[in-house]
Amino acid sequence: MDFLELKNKNIIITGASSGIGRETAILLDDLGADLILTGRNLEKLEETKAQLKREPNIFQADLTIEEERTALIASLPKLEGVVNAAGIIYPFPLKFITEKHIKTVFDINFKAQALLNSALLKQKKIAEGCSFVFISSISSQFPYQGGALYTSAKAALEAYARTLALEHSAKKVRSNCISPGLVKTNIFEETLKASSAEELEKYEKNYPLGFGEPIDVANTIAFLLSNRSRWVTGQNIVLDGGLTLGSK
Amino acid sequence: MGLDEFVGKIKEEFSEDYNVGDLDPDTHIKDMEWWSSMHMLVVIALVDAEYDVMLSPEEVREATSIKSLFEIIKTKK
Repeated sequence: MDFLELKNKNIIITGASSGIGRETAILLDDLGADLILTGRNLEKLEETKAQLKREPNIFQADLTIEEERTALIASLPKLEGVVNAAGIIYPFPLKFITEKHIKTVFDINFKAQALLNSALLKQKKIAEGCSFVFISSISSQFPYQGGALYTSAKAALEAYARTLALEHSAKKVRSNCISPGLVKTNIFEETLKASSAEELEKYEKNYPLGFGEPIDVANTIAFLLSNRSRWVTGQNIVLDGGLTLGSK
Repeated sequence: MGLDEFVGKIKEEFSEDYNVGDLDPDTHIKDMEWWSSMHMLVVIALVDAEYDVMLSPEEVREATSIKSLFEIIKTKK
């Protein structure tokens, strides 16, 4: 039984060159979706492509650059799913934040995504019943030291996703966020570089089910893209292996 | 900015919260009792603000002393 029924659905994945974006591409390809993969690094996008059974459309683009965003949108068919997995982590102590740091993080983690999704809607690239998925972070609700920029941008993204859900529900368009805890991606690797082995061990003890794997997030993305979640919109689904149990 | 001034900046940054009186160019800053990943981020941010040089966490971690950290900054300047 094809439970999720994603076969031949046109779905775009941003940030498909690594981590959650790549894992989602692999899963959705397996489920028969027609994929458009985008990312800044062509070589890494090709690496993702090499892991797929079907032929995706690859579009190299830096979504912070208007011309590249415009070219991408012009090339797209009507979409039944949009997965926003592009993003960077940028740990920085709050008292040192300047305009350039805010620009660096917000341009990628919020502004480019908001502009892309808004333009997709404006340019009628969104099919009735389309599902938007945004990758936020548990840290928008439970911040960490050095995470002011990252967590603020994710909080902004969550608010954008909820508003999208509200404004476009008439056409059964849905929009949801996923807020993962620490998942073993390149962002996880960056976190490791900034932490000592002792700190990492301490973090992991806070996760009753251990750190997450990209497939844990990809599975939830697939569900949210499918019609099986047709009554789910404007939500922020926490995937944290139990990290925040008892915290609320 | 010279090495002594760099050491002075680091002392000034941490002096409010920690005993930094003994810090000198040969100090292995990451071996200080109070050192944590947050302090590493502070050093990265301080260097970014003062020198417009962005160090990576690995560079800070692998620097054997404040002096060697200063040498890395000079090469990236």
